[in-house]
Order: sequence, then structure tokens, then C-alpha cells
Amino acid sequence: MRVLEGVDVTDMPRLHPDKRAPLWWGILGLITIESAVVLAFCVSYLYLAFHAEAWPPLGESPPPLLWPSINLGLLLLSCITMFAAGQGINRGNKRVLAIGVTISVLLASTVLVLRSLELMAYDVSWKDHSYGAIVWTISGFHYVHVTSMVLGSTVIAILAWRGYFTQARQIGVVVDTNYWYFVCFAWVPFYLLLYWGPRIYAG
Amino acid sequence: MTQQPSLQREIHDSPEETERLARTWHSPRGFPGWFTQVNQRMIGRRFIITGFIFFLLAGVLGLLIRTQLAGPEQQFLDPGLYNQFFTMHGTVMMFFFAIPVMEGFAIYVVPLMVGTRDMAFPRLNAFGYYIYLIGGIVLFGSLLIGMAPDAGWFNYVPLAGKAYSPGYGVDIWTTMITFIEVSALTAAVELIVTILRLRAPGMSLNRMPLFVWAALVMSFMIVFAMPAVIVSSTLLILDRLVDTQFFIVEGGGQPLLWQHLFWYFGHPEVYIILVPALGMISTIIITFTGRPIFGYTALVLSVVSIGFVSFGLWVHHMFTTGLPQLGMSFFTAASVTIAIPSGVQIFCWIASLWGAKIRFATPMLWVLGFFAIFVIGGLTGVMIASIPFDTQVHDTFFLVAHFHYVLIGGAVFPLIGALYYWWPKFTGRLMSEKGGKWSFWLAFIGFNVTFFPMHQLGLEGMPRRVYTYTAEMGWGDLNLLSTLGSFVLAAGFVITLINAIWSLYRGQPAGANPWNAPTLEWSTESPPPAYNYRHIPVVESRWPLWDWQERGERSVVSGLSSRRREVVITSILDAEPIGVQVLPHPTIWPFIAAVAASSGFIGIIFHPIFFVMGFFLVFFAMVGWFWPRRPWKED
Repeated sequence: MRVLEGVDVTDMPRLHPDKRAPLWWGILGLITIESAVVLAFCVSYLYLAFHAEAWPPLGESPPPLLWPSINLGLLLLSCITMFAAGQGINRGNKRVLAIGVTISVLLASTVLVLRSLELMAYDVSWKDHSYGAIVWTISGFHYVHVTSMVLGSTVIAILAWRGYFTQARQIGVVVDTNYWYFVCFAWVPFYLLLYWGPRIYAG
Repeated sequence: MTQQPSLQREIHDSPEETERLARTWHSPRGFPGWFTQVNQRMIGRRFIITGFIFFLLAGVLGLLIRTQLAGPEQQFLDPGLYNQFFTMHGTVMMFFFAIPVMEGFAIYVVPLMVGTRDMAFPRLNAFGYYIYLIGGIVLFGSLLIGMAPDAGWFNYVPLAGKAYSPGYGVDIWTTMITFIEVSALTAAVELIVTILRLRAPGMSLNRMPLFVWAALVMSFMIVFAMPAVIVSSTLLILDRLVDTQFFIVEGGGQPLLWQHLFWYFGHPEVYIILVPALGMISTIIITFTGRPIFGYTALVLSVVSIGFVSFGLWVHHMFTTGLPQLGMSFFTAASVTIAIPSGVQIFCWIASLWGAKIRFATPMLWVLGFFAIFVIGGLTGVMIASIPFDTQVHDTFFLVAHFHYVLIGGAVFPLIGALYYWWPKFTGRLMSEKGGKWSFWLAFIGFNVTFFPMHQLGLEGMPRRVYTYTAEMGWGDLNLLSTLGSFVLAAGFVITLINAIWSLYRGQPAGANPWNAPTLEWSTESPPPAYNYRHIPVVESRWPLWDWQERGERSVVSGLSSRRREVVITSILDAEPIGVQVLPHPTIWPFIAAVAASSGFIGIIFHPIFFVMGFFLVFFAMVGWFWPRRPWKED
């Protein structure tokens, strides 16, 4: 059988900074899976709430609003700095990338500190009832995600300061940013459910 | 593709170039080389072999269960051990055999079928396998020391709660679920990205082989079904380890939440196993009728709609839990609806077989066996979709009969057919046809003798999961018949095992395309070389090999480096080439990451601190895995 040249790929790009890269789709897969987990947690929360006689149970009050609202603001702000970092490397500016990722990491680390203080001050324990259990579980779930996003992006920041990323070789930054957006935006439904839900539901 | 053939350059291979390509794609052997392999065929083969080992072990458990039930009031197994055995039988068959072996076939065959050299994330593939292997070893280890889970494969609370199952057994079950989640999800994302981005140029979606379609649907189902069981198993392990109150009624918990979350995963799970089998059947029918399949588009659409509808069925496992009237009606309707796409499949296959010159080789026999068994299982399925009937036979042997008919008939028979079909591609040798036919007929007869009487036993009221029954119930004769059948069934499968081992040494050499099949995997050598294809092919139709034979020429991709692991990236719909991806080399890091993750998963059974430890160990392993190595131009 004669074998003919159908397509010549010699000159096609080897580095893909965008959604041509398989890794971009891999992270999209991860985000899809985790979004489904977020949804399942929300559904579990609602299921427990609708089947409870009182939500939160008698004698409990919903957790204070102030700190989680500040955290929401910090997380959304860190998305903007992350976005700016990505714009920087799109223009080939390594310094903007390094600074942007570092600021984002610092913002998210602040969130972790605030969250730790807030959780330590909770009256309700996960052992008390299903309400305490789901509040702590969702909080812990998101806390772990912010931690892993901080750790992962710290590595990205180190590589950025060492000048590893370029306009073409930046898929690592792109997927890290996408995951960052996901973790920050996952806080929105949790925030509404944990802090506004009981207030609206009871009121 | 659009060029005139006369304008195309003819390609001649130089032996040095081929040699270099083979070195680039070579998988290290021996120790520690084995732990560094990442090539998709190596990983796929491991999934298949490990999956069949678990099939064998769980099958032996099934035989022991049947032996205990052969006559009334036997004392062969005590009740505690019996509970462990039926739990392990179900759990291992579902989680450690069916899903991984289907993924294994997809991991091995799909990249070959779409004409590429590896999968999109080779290291992730290896990671998923080690997680699976370690999880399976831990689970079977627990059986050897008598601590196996014993609350059934769907592990209902409150039985599975700390109060009623105090030992480590259920903890191990919950941990094991985590292992399988991770392993299945990595394989699913891997398959989706490989199928959507790495197809050979010209293989647009409407030219994709039906098995690839099935693997794609299976992967999407895993992505959307598994998260529910991630959440349910997390909640349960928290209840058991740190005293949360999710499923404990006294603390405001809801045991039914477990059932909702579990079956929201558990029902699609059944179809996750069935859907790839449907793809195998279509593949085998095309080859053994020697002509294009009837209703390609209808088959694709029906597989996709099975994927969708299967997410609307979970409540039919809960008909006896007391649900709102509207919910009952909706889920009855959905349960009956699934018969429509399943019917479309069956009718398209019948139309494809109609008037064709069918070659009754072994793979085709298993497919025909599937028809008989699956149709019976489907009929009892329509019966139990009706609530009054379901209430009557719930938790009886009628159900046991039904789901063995759909699972063994729907998945295992096509799977064994596919094993015979692709075996020459895997090994370069054909299995014996004589052995294959003996195996098929023994399994087919044995299967029906085992499971058909269970319908009657269920209607007579025999509940599932009882370790024995009294003689006055009058269930002894049918149970004895069923037990005899189970040994015939086992003998059928053992013959295939012997046949497989025998063929490795004595089997007839297969050549590239022993069945005259039309899909790409048969265009390369058997077994394929390390790089799969000397040149990545260019596809112009659904049946490339048949067309190439007619034309006497074919086109390929040129310009891939032989010094790096390069594959072509194509667009999602039309598979136009848009770039080249450089894939990573073999490495030990996936194995290290898997050991790190496993230490966390297993450790939390004993103390929550292991979660933190595992988390940081995995982080360090991931950094080692992804850290760029100089020279940076490599990527």
C-alpha cells in the first residue's frame, strides 16, 4: 500500500498558552468534577435543612456575617490580581506576572488566617447535630481548597520569579488561574447558603 | 485531505528513524522501571489484567456464597463471614472489576482507535492505576484478616453507622470508595481529553468509531456521577471518625440522604458499565458482518441519551422508602423511558445482522449471548419499574436475578467477546476458537441455570442476603440447581482463562488485521510497537481500513519529531490539525504521589492527622511531578 503525506505538522506550534493545550481541558475536567461536588454539598445542606424541625436548631443562631463577607471580598479581589498577572505574561511582562501571583497568594493567605480565627470562635460543634456537621464540613472543604490553591500558586510564583514563564510557555499560569477562579467562586454559593440561608429561611 | 492524490509526496521510512522513534517511546522494564511506565498500552493492560484478577477473586466469593446456599440450614459459612463475602462480592465486582476493566479496555483501545500515540496525560494515567491497585490490595487484605466490610455493597446507614457496624470494616469500605473515585475520575478526564483533542486528522465526530463514542459517554457519566458518592462517602466517614451527625436521626441526621446520594451515583454506575459494552457490541457486529452498521447516527444518539436518562432513575432503588406520589410517578416514567434508547440499540443491531453473512467466530457468539440474556434482564427491568410489582419483590432473589441478567448479560458477555476480539491486537496471537466456543456455551448455559431459578425463588419470597433458610420453605431444590449452574458458569470463564494463557505460547500468530476489521487499531502491528503508529494516520471515512484496501493507498501525518514524544492535536468537531503536543517521559513521580495519597486515605481510618499528612505529601509529590527540568525548551 502506498503511504502518502496527508498533513505536514513540522511548523505547527509545540507550546500552547491557551485552550489548544490538553492540560487546559484537563483542568476544566477537574473544575467540572469539583463543581459537581460543590453542588452535592449544597443539595445535602438543603436536604438536611428542609427535613429539620428548626434550622438552625433551637438555641443556635446563624454564624456572624461580617468575617465571611470580608473573606468574599478578599477572594474576589485576589481573582482580579490573578487576572492582572495573566494579562502581564500575555504581554510578556514577567515582573507583572510574578508580582500579581504573589499578591494573590498573600490575599488568599489572609483569608486562611481570618477563616481560622473565625472557625475557632464558633460556638457550634460538628458533633452537636446535623446543622453543625454540615456547616463545619462545607467550611472545611472550602478551607482545604483555598489551602491547596495557595500552595499550588506559591509554586507558580516561585517559578515566575525565576523567569520560567514566557508568552508561549505559560499554560501552567493559565490553568492555575482557572483553578483559582473556581475556588474563589465556589465560595459564593457556600457563603449564601451558610450565612444568608438560615437568616432568610428562618425570617 | 482535500489535496489530489497525485500531488502528495510518497513517504518512505528509514530504519534509523524508526529505531529512534522506538527508543523515544520505549517503556523501561524491570525494577524500578516498571514503576515509571506511562505509555497508555502498558497502563491499559495493567488495568485489564488487575481487573480480571479481581473478577476471579470475587467470582470465587460468589461460588462460596452459592455453596452455602445450596441446601437448607447449611453451616459451611457462618453468618458474619457470609455478610463479609456478599459485601465483598458486590463491591469488588462493581468497583474493582467492572469499572476498571472497562476503563482498561478504553485506555488500551481508544488511543489506537483514534490513531494517536498515547493519551493526553500519560502520567495521570499511571497515577490512577497505582491508586486502584493499592485500594484493591487494602480491600482484599481486610478480608484476609477478617475485617472486611459487611454492610452490603451500597452500605446503607444506619446499619453502616458507628453504632451498628463498630469495627474497621465499613471504614475500609468508605476508604476504598475514595480510591476508586480518584482512579475512575482520572481515567475519565483522561479519556475525554484524548478523545476530543488527540484524534487523527480527519476523524471528525461523525466518523468516530462507536466504541470511542461509548467511552466518551462513559467518561462523562463518571465525571457527573462520582461527585455524589464523593460527598456521601465523605459524610459517612466523618460520621464514623469524628462523630458528625449526618446520618444519625437523634442528631437531626437523615439516613435517606445517604440513599439519595448513593443511588444518584449508583444508578448511572450501572450504565457506566453497560455503555462501553454497547460500544464493544457495535464494534464486533461491524467486523463480523463485514459491512457498515445500520443506523450509526441513531446508535450514537441512543448511547448519549442513555447517558442522560440514567441520571433520572436513581429513585427507583428507593421505591419502598415512602416517597411523594409525584416523585414515584416521575421515576417510574423515567425508568420505563430508558427502554427506548436501549430498544433503538437492539433494533439497529438486528437490522445490521439481517441478511448479512455473519461469521460466527467466538466474539460474535458472546454478543449473541448478550442479546438473549440482556433482553430477559430488560424485560424484568420493565416489570420492576412498576411500583406495585417492585414493592412485592423488593430485596428478594428476583432482584438478584434481574441485576445479574443485566450486569453479566449486559456487560460481562460483551466484555469477554471484546477480549477475544482484541486479544490478537494485545498479544499478537489468536485465542483458540474451539476453547472460545466451549467457554461460551458453558458460560451461557451455566449462567441461565444459575440465575433463572432465582426469579422463581424471589417470587416465592426468598429474601436476598440471608445466609440460610429452613427446609420447610421449599427453596432447597431451586437453590441446589442454581449452585450447580454457578459451577458450570465458573468453568466457562476458567476455560477462557486457560485459553488466554495457552494462546500466549501456542496461539496462531495473528498479523495486523486477523478479523478484517475497519477501524484504525488494526492497521498497526500486533501487538503495536511502543509508538503505536509509525505515522499518525489521516482518516477520510468511518471505515478507513476497508477504504484503504480498495484504494491501495492512504495518507499520513508527517513532520512529527522522533526525538520527543509528539502527538497531533486536532479540533474537537472536525479533527483539523491545529498543533503538536509534546508528552512527558516515564517517571517515578506518579507512583510516589499514589503512595502519598494512599497513606492519607488509609491513615484517616486510624487518626484524622493522617489527612493533613497525606495532603502535604501529595503536594510535595505533585511539585516533583510537575517541576520543569532543564533544558526548558523540552516542553
